[in-house]
Amino acid sequence: MSGAPDEAQQPVHGRIRLIEPACTSCMLCVRECPVWCISLDSHTEPDPDVPTGARPRMVNVLDRFEIDWGTCMYCGICVEECPFDALEWDTAHPAAADGSADLHHGIAELA
Amino acid sequence: MRDVPPQDWHAAVVAAREDGHGWFDWLGCVDEIGVADELRVVLSLRRLDDPGAPELLLQCRLPRSEPRIDSVRDVFAGAAWHEREAAEEFGLDVVGGDRRRLLLDPSFTGAPLRKDEVLASRTAQPWPGAKEPGESDAGAGGRSPSRRRMVPPGVPAPEVWGDRDPAEPPPDPGEVAAATSGGRVRRRAR
Repeated sequence: MSGAPDEAQQPVHGRIRLIEPACTSCMLCVRECPVWCISLDSHTEPDPDVPTGARPRMVNVLDRFEIDWGTCMYCGICVEECPFDALEWDTAHPAAADGSADLHHGIAELA
Repeated sequence: MRDVPPQDWHAAVVAAREDGHGWFDWLGCVDEIGVADELRVVLSLRRLDDPGAPELLLQCRLPRSEPRIDSVRDVFAGAAWHEREAAEEFGLDVVGGDRRRLLLDPSFTGAPLRKDEVLASRTAQPWPGAKEPGESDAGAGGRSPSRRRMVPPGVPAPEVWGDRDPAEPPPDPGEVAAATSGGRVRRRAR
């Protein structure tokens, strides 16, 4: 990041996108968030991609992912910390809402 | 960095100004808990006649239980704001200083920049990171009771601060400070 003099390459802290297929529900972003604005639910399932004959394996499946834009301070620590690049900056900004409850964006709104 | 005893603080600042360090830069305070049971007040002065000269730093170590220091706002008027900030943030007793609050609400009690000050709302609020990957409820049953619980950084264990046995002595500020800066103080596997 530091070696990018080109202004167009600097991330615009608009909103944070979730690339759902890349997320492994590892909880790192949730735990690193200094303002506790991210929360997620997940469950484990047998991995369907295990070749026949191999030992069954469990994978985490993401059920719910939520960012509270009313609490988020756009620091980007979650984007930096995600080991699977499932979070990224987007130039768009979260839309204004009538109440604070509407600022809780789930998987669909964050895509 | 020149050490000044508390009783010589005002005189040392006057002497430094007469010595040519006539420009007040800043005054700050550091909570030295964990290193010493002290608050350290630091004052930075500069010379305007020699811009290349290094800043003059005066420091004064005060006991945390009774941090009393003389105001220097009659020497440098600009120090008054810095003293007011240090007084309310660290619980410093500035003798002869401006006693009005600078940043905090008048009803606020405590010294928020002391390291043993706990963010109480953090201990009361459920932490979203308490869950493990693959869980949707941190309190879910069916997992090994011996597994270590994830606890939010900066929140002391109940043995150290908060929901403690009333028979025990008051919380140890050193332990609370170590716990709020991220250390696992007296935290057992629970």
